[in-house]
Amino acid sequence: MKILVAVKQVAALDEDFAIRDDGRDVDSDFFIRDLNEWDDFSLEEAVKIRESSAEPVEVVVVSVGPDEADESLRKCLAKGADRAIRVWDTCIEYSDSIAIARVLAAVAKREAPNMLFAGVQSSDQSFASTGIAAAALLGWPHAAVVSNLTCTPGANLAVFRRELEGGLLHEVEIQCPAVLTIQLGINTPRYASLRSIKQAAAKPIEVLSLSDLALGAADVGEAGSSSRVRRMYVPDKARAQLIEGDAAQQAARLAQIIHAFKGAAS
Amino acid sequence: MSGILVIGEQRRGELRPVSLELLSAGISLRRAGEEVAVAILSDSPDRFVKPLSLSGVDEIVTVKVGAAEFDPDIFESAVGALITKRNPDVVLVAHSVDSFGYAAALATRLGLGFATDVFSVERVDGELVATRGGYGQKVYVEVDFPGRNTVMLAIRGNVFKPPEQAASPRITIFDTPPVQSRATGREFIEMSAGDDVDMTAAEFILTIGRGIGEEAKVAQFRELADAVGATLGCSRPIADAGWLPKSRQVGQSGKTASTCQLYIAMGVSGAIQHLAGMKHVSTIVAVNSDAEASIFSVAKYGIVGDIFEIAEELRKHF
Amino acid sequence: MVSRTDAVTRILFEAFSAAEVRLFYLLGYAAIAIFGYGVYVQIRKYRRGAALKLEGGLWARFGAMLSSVLSHRTIERRDRSAGGAHRLIFYGFVLLFAGTATITLEYDILEPLFGIRFWHGQFYLVFSLVLDIAGVALIAGLAFMMYRRGWMRLPKLDYARPDRVPGDPDFDRPQYRREDWAFLWILLIIACTGYVLEAARLVWLQDRADIWDTRWWSPVGALLAEGMRTAGLGERGAGLLRHGLWWFHGLIALLLIALIPFTKVKHIFTAAASLMVRDPLAAQRLPRIPDSQEQVGAARITDFNWKQLLNLDACTKCGRCHEACPARAVGAPLSPRDVILSLREFAKSTLESGVLPDAAELDIHGKAPGQVAMETLWSCRTCMACVEICPVAVEHVPIIVQMRRKLVEEGAMDPLLTKTLQTIHKTGNSFGESKRKRGAWSKALPFPVKDARKEPVDVLWFVGDYASFDPRNQKVSQVFASLLQEAGVNFGILYDGESNAGNDVRRVGEEGLYEVLATANVNALAGASFKSVVTTDPHSYNTIRNEYPDFGGKYEIEHYTTLAKRLFTEGRLQVTNPLKYRVTFHDPCHLGRFNKGYDAPRELLALLGCELVEMGRCKANSFCCGAGGGRIWVPDPVGAEKPAQNRMKEAAAIPGLEVYVVSCPKDLTMFEDALKTTGNEGKFVVKELIELIREAIPARRAEEVPA
Repeated sequence: MKILVAVKQVAALDEDFAIRDDGRDVDSDFFIRDLNEWDDFSLEEAVKIRESSAEPVEVVVVSVGPDEADESLRKCLAKGADRAIRVWDTCIEYSDSIAIARVLAAVAKREAPNMLFAGVQSSDQSFASTGIAAAALLGWPHAAVVSNLTCTPGANLAVFRRELEGGLLHEVEIQCPAVLTIQLGINTPRYASLRSIKQAAAKPIEVLSLSDLALGAADVGEAGSSSRVRRMYVPDKARAQLIEGDAAQQAARLAQIIHAFKGAAS
Repeated sequence: MSGILVIGEQRRGELRPVSLELLSAGISLRRAGEEVAVAILSDSPDRFVKPLSLSGVDEIVTVKVGAAEFDPDIFESAVGALITKRNPDVVLVAHSVDSFGYAAALATRLGLGFATDVFSVERVDGELVATRGGYGQKVYVEVDFPGRNTVMLAIRGNVFKPPEQAASPRITIFDTPPVQSRATGREFIEMSAGDDVDMTAAEFILTIGRGIGEEAKVAQFRELADAVGATLGCSRPIADAGWLPKSRQVGQSGKTASTCQLYIAMGVSGAIQHLAGMKHVSTIVAVNSDAEASIFSVAKYGIVGDIFEIAEELRKHF
Repeated sequence: MVSRTDAVTRILFEAFSAAEVRLFYLLGYAAIAIFGYGVYVQIRKYRRGAALKLEGGLWARFGAMLSSVLSHRTIERRDRSAGGAHRLIFYGFVLLFAGTATITLEYDILEPLFGIRFWHGQFYLVFSLVLDIAGVALIAGLAFMMYRRGWMRLPKLDYARPDRVPGDPDFDRPQYRREDWAFLWILLIIACTGYVLEAARLVWLQDRADIWDTRWWSPVGALLAEGMRTAGLGERGAGLLRHGLWWFHGLIALLLIALIPFTKVKHIFTAAASLMVRDPLAAQRLPRIPDSQEQVGAARITDFNWKQLLNLDACTKCGRCHEACPARAVGAPLSPRDVILSLREFAKSTLESGVLPDAAELDIHGKAPGQVAMETLWSCRTCMACVEICPVAVEHVPIIVQMRRKLVEEGAMDPLLTKTLQTIHKTGNSFGESKRKRGAWSKALPFPVKDARKEPVDVLWFVGDYASFDPRNQKVSQVFASLLQEAGVNFGILYDGESNAGNDVRRVGEEGLYEVLATANVNALAGASFKSVVTTDPHSYNTIRNEYPDFGGKYEIEHYTTLAKRLFTEGRLQVTNPLKYRVTFHDPCHLGRFNKGYDAPRELLALLGCELVEMGRCKANSFCCGAGGGRIWVPDPVGAEKPAQNRMKEAAAIPGLEVYVVSCPKDLTMFEDALKTTGNEGKFVVKELIELIREAIPARRAEEVPA
């Protein structure tokens, strides 16, 4: 069995970040990069399947991103992925989730895995659509926001629960191969020690270009995307009315608010 | 044809509230001569006609499908057929778990313009411009859809106010060929309760978040909540860590503080998923040591300070 | 007279048949053979451990060991009576053993081969007297030890394990108690039968003037002999008694010799050897993992080096570490003693067999007898109290940390700890704050703090995580910066060039992350121009001082307490408002025990005019606040007492205490919290020594006081 896990190196913003001159993204100097939290869970789920399986399971991670993404891929290798693939080409820049899905689907066709896992969403762009878009391109069954997965290598059905709004779960059975987007909390991702990350540096990361995947510039970037970023800006957010003073004064005011509410309610 | 097509959402025989919010979003986008249609997919769609019969809606399309509950293949096929047939300008779906399961696939297959988690949409010089958040809501992103005839937008919940006035829109039946689904829904499971608290019915909620740092501190806030007469709630990290039962989690994947009037959030940073469950509350007080925490953007009152100190001081008043 | 005294000598095989003598020799050789085999098994066991090259000369090590052993310095600490009794036993035993051994030397070697005799005449008599006194010392020491074990009910001699529950096969190990008693009894019997034997010999040979007239050179024997005679024992009877007792005494002594390598008696060798291979920086400077080494940390018993395996055997179960351990004191499932004993039992059962068992059977992690549970390992605060007090130089901390390295590798740790380590890796600090904000605390000051990367300074202040990011400690940092400024010290900081120093990360067992942090800081320091380093954080102080040299970073470094004291001595700071507080001082583990910085803070308190009242547990015996070893990032179990609370209660017992003085940012955090949770708020306050200095030197200009 082979499980392909799509991962992303996401960016969080550092203090006092600035928007780029063209106004379409944040200056990358202010990026604090890390492996997407959701992908940590989907990788763990794949590795757990391998560990509990009698038959051999290969876990392959794939990421679409520039050189820096190798850092996250090495973390994945340290956490137990068997191989890593990174796809990059400068024209991939400005791709939205659907353009990225096109690249992932091409990798999936090349790798021919039995399952494709992705995180529900990325913590930076929160599209929540890449994995499912890739499923459409592959023509595979798919499901989003998966928790409690039972997936036995060799079986042609997998069972899981979709985590719905309002604390409700929906148990679903799906035909394999399938694309599943994995929700936080499905497992406890393991720790990758710095030592193991360092040792993972010895494992090669296969770097593919668009032409390796028989894709062209029109398939990715703005041309291949379903939306285009016009502008990015820092919103003037509504601000709470701040209660000033020391802790005792602040608490006294809060107590007043509570008493007023209780008075009104009774 | 043109116009706006809203895909309503239902679950277990109930229309999901977000469906009505989508109607408002649709109505706000309507241009002269355009119609707002809402489609509802179910094995018995007629039952949803009444709750959808609201002013501003021109047409209700009932789509009888071979599944009582959401099914990715069946919904994708039926909504796809609707779009192909009606060719609307804009398709609105909820940014919800169900839509996560098929909207992106459909948009990809049909080559639609597509954006998710949209909380604001307008037309600028005739072009549709949607706004969504980025980098954990620290920035807003405006996106457009050059060259797309149909744009599908997944709209964030709790943003648009649903229309209130009843009306009598036209009702159309849409036939869709049966599809064999590759996924079978089995049953619904309420997340393990742990205790019998009903967050949705609480009027006064005190919620703790990641800021409490360690499990040992839960007791202090449990006691405080009891003392002030609030129901103790929590954000996702606290429930995931098992410090409080899942039934106390407020937010998108937890409970919605539906009837709450006073909501005190202590040490909750305010992830968008949490805000989804509580930002509608009329009086929100946020206590957080980080003055930049996004919880302050939805709170009426804010206290920047040490939550333990505030909790201790507050306790003295009760 | 002369000839008679001259003739007097040790009566050895007199009246024994040749067959008896041959039998005795046979038994003697057998005992020595068993002893030899035992020694071989032990050494083979140690050699099954990992290799280790010791630093330093053999003779210096031998000298240090000899001085410890002869002075009994380490055994006497915090238990003078046991130390005294052990000294009596030790010297009594050594003399008696030397007496017996030299007889063998003369009788079996020197005389038959070279014709040399010295065991006669005056020398013999004096030696008889000395040995008689030695015997009294031995018996007195043994009697006290028996009283101590039997009646004093010392908690440290209770073998019940905090990491096991009653009913577990290895919960309180009654075999240890049996062995302790057997050892005491065997020695006592050997000593007592020696006297009776001596007395019987005197009575038996009372007609031989050379013997009888010099009997008072063996006063105890002579006294007993008088008693025997009074009781009516005749020469013949005494001869029989002597004959029987001789065999009894001799066989027991031979038995003891044969058993040495197999019982606790071996501590006479292993403890001495352990003292000889002592590493004075065992806890302060943890071992590096060579880049070439695949495996990280101790997973199997054979992953320990021979010295650590020897350490295990050196333990005498004296319980000093058990008593000193702050985790044990608050009921955590850890006793350093039991970690050592558990591993010793494990080593014994696996490494003493002829063929080394399979790798799977050498796994030391787990809950089976002999294994160490992860809860036990994570309970450790690496405060070094155990290492510091161990009389036989057992080095627990590196053993525990090496086992933790394995747990970290497997991710077997508290989820919050996992998160913290990831945060430190990502942001370089444990607060998850932006690197850019590291120097932000200095913005509140009325003067700019120099960036040591951009302009040369005399003193580079390595601020550390807590002092940089924790709001309470930031205030202390601002005060310290003002003090330095007022004293005219040309100082600077590294701003975002500084990373977490790594001291605690290393003690958690995340060696790879430590390497990253240490290398980053060494590189950052290399890019700055300074003469010396000062730290306000004892944890940073320890690792920079003791561990960065292994990463190529050698600096002149001091903790702020010595720098501040010098500024006073040089008159650059002057007390204008003497404080009359009644204070107590908490020695931070990493300043006190780790680096012997006991004096500077006390001298500073005296300079400030404070009245210092010491707590019972102070200086080397200071009680950890519970934050060490990365435990500040792991919540303590709900409901259980925390070490800091235990400590607060100790401080609260000081009548009229006004200020509990700390000189470590983590201490400030831990104890201010504990002050509240123990209900002592309002009774006294917790303050950083820096804050007291500020109080004693009101700022010259109001605007110099940071907001």
